[in-house]
Amino acid sequence: MQNPNGSWPAFEGDDREGSWTTSLALWALQGRAVHASVIDRGQRWLLQSKGRESHWLWKWKFRTTDRHVRFDPDKFGWPWMPETNSWVVPTSFSLLALKQWFPPNGASEANFRIELGVQMLLDRVCPGGGWNAGNGVVYGVPLAPHPDATAIALVALVTQTLNPTVQQSLDWLEHAVLTRSAPWSLAWALIALQSHQRSIREPHSRLLQSIEESRIEDAATLAVVALALKSANGQDIFGVRE
Amino acid sequence: MTVDRRTLLAGTAAVVAGAALSRRFFQPPYHSIRRPAHSRVAILRASAYDAKLEEILMQGLRLFGLDLSNRSVLLKPNLVDYIPGDVINTHPLMVTAAVECFQRLGARRVVVAEGPGHQRDTHLLLSESGYAEQLKEQNVLFVDLNRDELKKVKLCSNYTDLGHMWLPRTVLGSDFIVSMPKMKTHHWSGVTLSLKNMFGVVPGAKYGWPKNILHWKGIQHCVVDLCATVPVHFVVADGIVGMEGNGPLNGAARLLGTIVLADDPVAADATCARLMGINPDGVLHIHETAKFLGNSSLEFIEQLAEAVQSPETPFHVVPEFEHLRMHNPTPGSPHLG
Repeated sequence: MQNPNGSWPAFEGDDREGSWTTSLALWALQGRAVHASVIDRGQRWLLQSKGRESHWLWKWKFRTTDRHVRFDPDKFGWPWMPETNSWVVPTSFSLLALKQWFPPNGASEANFRIELGVQMLLDRVCPGGGWNAGNGVVYGVPLAPHPDATAIALVALVTQTLNPTVQQSLDWLEHAVLTRSAPWSLAWALIALQSHQRSIREPHSRLLQSIEESRIEDAATLAVVALALKSANGQDIFGVRE
Repeated sequence: MTVDRRTLLAGTAAVVAGAALSRRFFQPPYHSIRRPAHSRVAILRASAYDAKLEEILMQGLRLFGLDLSNRSVLLKPNLVDYIPGDVINTHPLMVTAAVECFQRLGARRVVVAEGPGHQRDTHLLLSESGYAEQLKEQNVLFVDLNRDELKKVKLCSNYTDLGHMWLPRTVLGSDFIVSMPKMKTHHWSGVTLSLKNMFGVVPGAKYGWPKNILHWKGIQHCVVDLCATVPVHFVVADGIVGMEGNGPLNGAARLLGTIVLADDPVAADATCARLMGINPDGVLHIHETAKFLGNSSLEFIEQLAEAVQSPETPFHVVPEFEHLRMHNPTPGSPHLG
């Protein structure tokens, strides 16, 4: 399914410009017996993919005339699809993929992008901790964090666990799961809390209860729930460590 | 006079380029004019989200004499995000009342479908917004358009350079699409009504959360291209409590006590805008769709129930759209901005 440009499509039959699934495909191929050129082309595509706000013209616009969304355009990550802005979830997935393939403390393009992506996530955090889809403040109003985006960002920031922003976001997530019952959010929360060695008792029991009460009909939720249950058994799901 | 081969080639190239450019500048961006001669709108009074809603809606729908026998109906509410205390979404009781009414009108199947633009956890959003409980109670099928099977569709106008979009098969396969917006102001498009509500059919699995490509290509132009391509057959707009100011998420609740029904989304949005004290001709996507998709002019809109009455104080908007507010409007007049 890999596209000629090295990326992966969002679904079978998709246009061939590339999508956010490229990072997940690269992550999934770690440790698998695939031709080196498949990985190399995928990595190269991912490294050239970046949020459109990184272009000097848009940086200038976001610094001068378009100030409604509060963010630092010098800190950019990855978009959902080409020619769009950086967002929290695709940036987090890209960080997970690159951290798996490139050892830390190197001086490569990958290490530069990893550092910039981490800075972007820390820049876009909501004022009370946690992450919304992209930014923390729009039109002067603080946005409410989303449990899944927060959890995914925290998984990507597992090597920054002592950072105060990360700690504040973990606190928010721990509190948020107490009132949530949706399997997707609970599963991501469990994986994130486990990866930062926080207690998973509450999300685990709530996840088990939600699985009993609701029928999971989409493959994405089913997959994340399966990963969360493996995580609850002590398995390191994303395997990103210093 | 003799013309050498090089001059002839250059001249031909210039003519071709000129023709292409003039086509771009002088041809309208829409492919055909599908505006009906007249559109019908019914403004209904409803003071609260309660058990009376279904009967009010049914009485209003009967004014249109709809024949839905053996047709599949898709209700597209505005379900964006959940913030406790905020009036972001089409009220779930409005949606379930509509389900009941369309079933009573003979529809073979009624589904509720939405692809929330910000929240990736649709299950969580359904549960927190009160939709899950209501839909379960009535045994109504909900389709998450963000994760539906997709088909590539050529757009029926060229306000953007997108050319085509991937759209959900559930939407494309429905016989009768009902846009059910919440009447709100919007900080990037002035208002968000039945036309803008159709952004929710754009699938997140392809375009992301949010569907940021639509912002980069121009929100209002994308609304036009999308609505030129995906037909909205009917509108049920929730204006019992609307939102003013910094919509679509962080505005203030505004009691309007109104439901707007229409057989033309452009007429619906023009009417809703007037009810909000907003000049519809100043809203780019209403202005442009009125050229080929529907009617915004009062002259071509038949009011089946109450007359249009603009409020004494127009809905508040962000400063960029202050020019849209119709101060001291004469009831029924659209040109007082």
